[in-house]
Amino acid sequence: MLVTGVRVRDLRSYATADAALGPGLNVVHGPNGAGKTNLLEAVYFGCTGRSCRTSNERELIRFGADVARVELDVQGDGGTHRLCAALPRAGAKRVAVDGQPVDSLLDVARRPLASVFIPDRLELIKGPPALRRSHVDSLVAALWPARSGARRDYVRVLAQRNALLARVRTAGASTASLGAWDAELAACGVALQAHRAEAIASLAGPFSAHAARLGLRDGAELAYRPRSGAATAAELAAELAARVESDLERGFTGHGPHRDEISLARGGRELRVYGSQGEQRLALLALLLAERELLAERRGSPPLLLLDDVMSELDAERRELLAGELTGRGQAVVTATELAHVPGATGTEATRLAVGDGRVLSGARAA
Amino acid sequence: MYPQPVERLVTELGRLPGIGSRTAQRLAFHILRASDEEAAALADSIREVKDRVGECERCFNLADRPLCPICEDPRRDDSVICVVEEPSDVLPMERTHEYRGRYHVLGGALSPIDGVDVDDLHIAELYARIAEAQSSVSEVVLATNPTTTGEATALHLAAALRERSPDVAVTRLASGLPVGADLEYADEVTLGKAFAGRRAL
Repeated sequence: MLVTGVRVRDLRSYATADAALGPGLNVVHGPNGAGKTNLLEAVYFGCTGRSCRTSNERELIRFGADVARVELDVQGDGGTHRLCAALPRAGAKRVAVDGQPVDSLLDVARRPLASVFIPDRLELIKGPPALRRSHVDSLVAALWPARSGARRDYVRVLAQRNALLARVRTAGASTASLGAWDAELAACGVALQAHRAEAIASLAGPFSAHAARLGLRDGAELAYRPRSGAATAAELAAELAARVESDLERGFTGHGPHRDEISLARGGRELRVYGSQGEQRLALLALLLAERELLAERRGSPPLLLLDDVMSELDAERRELLAGELTGRGQAVVTATELAHVPGATGTEATRLAVGDGRVLSGARAA
Repeated sequence: MYPQPVERLVTELGRLPGIGSRTAQRLAFHILRASDEEAAALADSIREVKDRVGECERCFNLADRPLCPICEDPRRDDSVICVVEEPSDVLPMERTHEYRGRYHVLGGALSPIDGVDVDDLHIAELYARIAEAQSSVSEVVLATNPTTTGEATALHLAAALRERSPDVAVTRLASGLPVGADLEYADEVTLGKAFAGRRAL
């Protein structure tokens, strides 16, 4: 699946922008403040209907404008489709596929998957485990769409169980139905654990390989560290039942897959704690590249890779290594202040987009 | 802005589910324009439904007498009880014309977030019905919704019934593909469930 064109209206610094994307490496280049990251964000917004930079989406709307809007032309197996996401200053976000409104782009099978690297995303490596769990769960949903409800189901049941614990603790409610919630939480939890374990097992090999190719030495490892060792719902339910006293004391559930950790380590040491900025950056890239490889293999087409300002902090050797990883493996959009920072950017396979003053100045593709 | 009785009507109509302030206003003006008989008929029907319709003493379905028409019907099969969340769930089951047993309406589903606990539902009454001396119940069909709360309610009832009445079979409605639907248009989660619950032919 390829994104062949992007049209932007009133998004961040862009009043209007039209750009054609090439099938391989696309390099968005221009001076600081030219709007490189904004263009990347626009493509992400067009793919998902969300922002990859902010949770306050109104920030996307250009000052003085009422509606930010992105249209993507997407070429898939079934022909071309037009994805449209519009965010008005007042009122609800509207997303549509081929002119037909849909509830959420994330549910649309014809949307391209997007994998994004922005400096903020280093939090995924060095931040709290909740970010890694949620990341792995979205990978599960991307790999196996039928399992996309597993996390949501678990979270819902967990909220109900916690509400019951709190009611028992503070209002003296009866614990009669606790067994039923334990049973349902355990059933959802064991499913979630199995999905995470399967996704991480398939990802661990490619992650180590990509990390090695990017020059992260001493062997980088990705591992799943589930909170519970339970293999069946009955076992997990028994574990929950055994901890019910302390749960009641605290008023929330202290055991289960919502306490899982996903560990990224190098030479046996957690990158979260012991990794340098550069190493964490390489680990994040290796993770994204490994996911891309896995999705390409399982879903038939690699996700669109969006890399913001990734080259600036890598040494020349690692830039070359990363560029090597990017070429010939699907579509990628990379931003850089200087074309020279992206090895291969001047090649015939690459598409160059010069941006400046909130405009796309040239989208000329090499002949 | 409007005379006080009109404001009151708009406010009351606006409390109805799915009715926003605009629609409430439109309905209110429609009622104002309607003939006296029409408006009185509406008001009467609301009063009558609240006066005369209550819960069936046995199954908590809607009833305008002590027992609902299904509980009164001697031709129904006493050996099966179908447990549903709301009275509105009875009608779709009845439309199948496949089910000839009795019903039991819980009046909701377990949901600690909304403060709904075991004692807030007609669960004790269900146990009592099954435990009655002259009871001939051999199967309880749990037809609560396939949602988080409906599933938890079904799990709770199943565990409790196994303990209280081990001779009574407890079954759960299957979930899967809608009949006549095209596989192409089924959502992944439904199709995944249907796949997990596939059976040999």
